[in-house]
Amino acid sequence: MIEILIACVQTLLLVALTPLVSGVGRFMRAKMHTRKGPPILQDYYDLAKLFKRQDIHTKDSSFVHRLMPPLFLGTMLVLALGMPMLTRLSPVPFLADVILIIYLLALPRFFFALSAIDSGSSYAGVGGIRELMVGVLVEPSMMLALFVAALSAGSTNVGVMGATIGSLSVAHPVTIIIVGFAFALACYVELGKLPYDLAEAEQELQEGPLSEYSGPSLAMVKMAMSLKQILVVSWFIAIFLPFGSAVELTVVALAIGLVVYLVKLALIFFICSVFENAVSRVRFKLLGRQTWAVFGIAVFGFVFWILGI
Amino acid sequence: MTSYLVVNILGGLLIVTSLFVVLSKTPQRTTLIYSLQSIVLVLLLVALGVTTGSRELFTWAATAFITKAVLVPAIMLFALKKIGPSAKEAVPSSISPVVAIILVAVELFVCYLAVNGIELPTALGVKPALAVSLAHFFVGLTCIITQRNILKQIFGYCLMENGSHVTLALLAPEAPGLVEIGIATDAIFAVVIMAIVAVRIHRVVKSLDADDLRELKG
Repeated sequence: MIEILIACVQTLLLVALTPLVSGVGRFMRAKMHTRKGPPILQDYYDLAKLFKRQDIHTKDSSFVHRLMPPLFLGTMLVLALGMPMLTRLSPVPFLADVILIIYLLALPRFFFALSAIDSGSSYAGVGGIRELMVGVLVEPSMMLALFVAALSAGSTNVGVMGATIGSLSVAHPVTIIIVGFAFALACYVELGKLPYDLAEAEQELQEGPLSEYSGPSLAMVKMAMSLKQILVVSWFIAIFLPFGSAVELTVVALAIGLVVYLVKLALIFFICSVFENAVSRVRFKLLGRQTWAVFGIAVFGFVFWILGI
Repeated sequence: MTSYLVVNILGGLLIVTSLFVVLSKTPQRTTLIYSLQSIVLVLLLVALGVTTGSRELFTWAATAFITKAVLVPAIMLFALKKIGPSAKEAVPSSISPVVAIILVAVELFVCYLAVNGIELPTALGVKPALAVSLAHFFVGLTCIITQRNILKQIFGYCLMENGSHVTLALLAPEAPGLVEIGIATDAIFAVVIMAIVAVRIHRVVKSLDADDLRELKG
């Protein structure tokens, strides 16, 4: 019972805090560019405004175009229910399987690209296809890294993997470090930040597919994309950096877990945003080379697992 | 068994550092990473000494620290200084970093298969480390073959030498210090000679790229 409560509370908390996280990100980005930038709460204002507007779809678009925003947001909320954030183990264990999580991330990506093509705008279509390409390049290396970690931890459940690594009783420490590094790189690509993408800009790749969206639909997709960023980082934290999260379900442990989780999240987003602002956009042709490097590191980790260290 | 785990983990770090030696772009960075690797090697020798209770290994660790972590990098940095600013220019390697990573992983795997067949009493607990030490020989060879910068090829030789050093320490921890001094000092002299040759080549050809040395052919 208490697990269900934790799952609901963490999901609601996440939904409430997501615009703040993205707002802080935009604010910091502006500061690093020595611009004044939008206020921290700007994303709340944006969402409130968008929800009041009329929802318009292009004339030739089908149900896919209408379905995608609620599907994207809904999938992210399902992911948020099962992801261990405050706790070491997942509050809803059957939602915390890595294979399920990979598929739940792939499902909205598919509809994202499909709705972009469906919208009828040729520009959005190109953006959608690019989004699929990123997925095709990143997911194999991500999966390999996760499977090696799962082999080492003896489970594909995020919570159990985190518990094994968090108790420092893992049999292959070098493997876990290498694979964790590979997974961190893959997660970074998945975040949709520079040098691979620019989630903030309307005309850019990640939001290019959204050029035909408006009103509540656009608000839902914007919300879902910010949620996805936090969830991917939480995924990494839950498996490879679970230290400090609540092992027992007491109020004190949960409070400590919440504080530690927020600190880790802030730290990772800070590192990402420093890195993001220090690089320029990479050409899409070169993306494959870099994801292959991630794949190579994951293979390296796999060999270490065979070696048994 | 847990103390052997430390040895194996340090072995893992050793191969990671040698991968970085192969991947790093400039000779300066390679020198620093090689120095780091030598420190890992020293730690491995100390850990092995604590595990097996062999006194000689601590002497080995001390000499390895002086020769590998201090002297070899010092010689290389001196050679770089002699060559001047053009040593900082990155010479492209003949394979992409991804291929290098996967190649090293494959070599490590093949060495693991080879080591699996060895049934020596001293090798039982340290099979992963033994596979790593054997793989070092091939990683060094990979570095020599794939890198066109002649200074990095010297580090390839050093990697091979480090591998033989670890193999000896793992299989014969009780071997007298004289054997070890033989290994360590001949490496020093080899590095000195190769560094001098590299500096002289640069003085004549004005390049560190092995592909530019074709005119040496008769």
